[in-house]
Amino acid sequence: MTASNSTDATESIMSAEAAEVAPDEQAAPASQKTKTAKPPPKRGPSLFPRRRTVDKERVDALTQGRKALLCVDSVSVSFDGFRALNNLTLVLDEGELRCIIGPNGAGKTTLQDVITGKTKPDTGTVFLVGDDTDLTQLSEHQIAQRGVCRKFQRPTVFQGHSVFENLELALPGKKSVFKALFARLQKPEREAIEKILETIGLKDHAQTRAGLLSHGQKQWLEIGMLLAQEPRVLLVDEPVAGMTHQETERTAELLNSLAGTHTVVVVEHDMEFVRSIARTVTVLHEGSVLAEGSMDAVQADPKVVEVYLGKS
Amino acid sequence: MTTATTTATSALAQDSGRRLENVLPKSGWITLGVCLLVFCVSVPVLNSLPLSSALHLPDYLVTLFGKFLCFAIVAIAMDLLWGYAGILSLGHGVFFAIGGYAMGMYLMRTIGSAGVYRSNLPDFMVFLDWKELPWFWKPFDNFAFALIAVVAVPGLLAYAFGFLAFRSRIRGVYFSIITQALTFALMLLFFRNETGLGGNNGLTDFKQIYGYRIQDQSTKVGLYVLSALGMLCAFLLARFVTTSKAGRVLRSIRDEESRIMFLGYDPTRFKLFVYTLSAVICGVAGALYVPQVGIINPSELQPSNSIEMAIWVAVGGRGSLIGAPLGAFVVNGAKSWFTVALPEFWLYILGVLFVAVTLFFPQGLVGAVKRGLPRDKLAALLSRVRK
Repeated sequence: MTASNSTDATESIMSAEAAEVAPDEQAAPASQKTKTAKPPPKRGPSLFPRRRTVDKERVDALTQGRKALLCVDSVSVSFDGFRALNNLTLVLDEGELRCIIGPNGAGKTTLQDVITGKTKPDTGTVFLVGDDTDLTQLSEHQIAQRGVCRKFQRPTVFQGHSVFENLELALPGKKSVFKALFARLQKPEREAIEKILETIGLKDHAQTRAGLLSHGQKQWLEIGMLLAQEPRVLLVDEPVAGMTHQETERTAELLNSLAGTHTVVVVEHDMEFVRSIARTVTVLHEGSVLAEGSMDAVQADPKVVEVYLGKS
Repeated sequence: MTTATTTATSALAQDSGRRLENVLPKSGWITLGVCLLVFCVSVPVLNSLPLSSALHLPDYLVTLFGKFLCFAIVAIAMDLLWGYAGILSLGHGVFFAIGGYAMGMYLMRTIGSAGVYRSNLPDFMVFLDWKELPWFWKPFDNFAFALIAVVAVPGLLAYAFGFLAFRSRIRGVYFSIITQALTFALMLLFFRNETGLGGNNGLTDFKQIYGYRIQDQSTKVGLYVLSALGMLCAFLLARFVTTSKAGRVLRSIRDEESRIMFLGYDPTRFKLFVYTLSAVICGVAGALYVPQVGIINPSELQPSNSIEMAIWVAVGGRGSLIGAPLGAFVVNGAKSWFTVALPEFWLYILGVLFVAVTLFFPQGLVGAVKRGLPRDKLAALLSRVRK
């Protein structure tokens, strides 16, 4: 502590937050988890709010020549000195199906938490192209309303509601208290629900209590709820964990059919499943992007072989 | 899987026609009408029978039933919050008492100079040698203002308290403990003479309400009927909320809060709404209660009072708007009887009742009626006792 105090003395005095950052910096090289020597850029004093919009030039630089939709720009997150995400930059194109793989602790879950607003990053921005709002400034429900939707690893559906009601709650609009109090189900909404019921193969179970569905059916219902939200970006965390072989195949089909109209991000451990659906794969390692490209290219990358595929 | 399609009764499935028709099914409206008759007509009629008649209902029972109806309103408010949104407040006595105090302040002002000291000030102020009416007492000369305060003060307090608590994502048992602290803190505040609300003795010795003498039998019956109407209104309001999409969101918050958040709903807003609504309903119950019992003092703010409110709901059946008021009637009926017959044992009986209901009827009395007695559990208990 004394060493860091003497070197960072001026900064500690300048802002209380600098003092908070200082132990992190010290801890990071000490724990061999992160090899980077570069400290993250410091946050300004909390008295001044961070800017709420993203930099136009930065957007252009990131999205040049691509049909980009969601950008994660130099995001860093650390928990008690452990750097979960390390200056990570990721650009997702419109309508693409992207798989994110990486060993345990690579930051896959933290990345999803940052995008959906559950975790606020120390530095960096997340934004949708065409909307200059910094998503990291918003709360979870506001991000969801902007069309970034998330599927948890464990199927999370409302067990006490029927399948139909689950989907109804997911429909866009009428999310304020007042509107929800007086909401009535309109015909187009009913039709939208019926269409989704068909897509996810639960048409016969519309009035079944969601708690009575099988594991795989719950997973599909949750995917259906995401669809009902009319999302722009779908984040799907380990969709086939615990599924039977047939259910896995159906899920692969479902996700493939969603890509094109939606940007789908799949975080998955199951390499065979990734191979069956992936067009582009991003490999995360120790909080940053290690490699990105087609499955074959990524598998041939010696760095990837070393940290991930080589081990398995 | 086909057997599992025996469904959850879905309000949406029959969703047609106007919004109000979904609040209750047709049979429900008829039952409600019958209840209205039973509550509002039979009691006044039986009370007006001559004393010699076997069916004559004594005056004290009218007031007692009126009191129970006020408690039933509280139970509905508690159930809306606890049974549907899963938020257990152990400080709802606060809102009940504040509603009561607001009404009590008006009643104190209507005494005029008919008090013991023949002063224009309330008796306790004369006793404390105060010369002038505190500023916050002045508007309570006006009945309309008092009625607004009955709704607004509990509502604002709940909104402010809930805003801080829910925004900080305080939930579960932590929220329950904080609400206990709230009621305890307010009890200490109201006990102080400096607070200007009668301190230890509270507000009492009321003479009239809106021009009617409070001792008159007709006033008592009138207050009773108002309480019955209040309970039915509270029931319909709660039904309206729970059958709406907002009600489904509330139940979703109870079961999977993170999911509802990632669907784009702000759980804080919904919780704040239901907490405030629940507090307002409690405030109205308190205002109906005070003129019937003739006193309001800080003992209403005791933490144990608020816990008892939760017991009513647990006994009657959480998540059932019929169970909650039923629980209030049963527990308070038992209380009235046992505190006369076996005064020392009442708290033990209450404890045993609570434990027994939790063990054998987790869904409360309503659940027991719906599903029948849990024979297997009772048999297991009996065999253990025999050994």
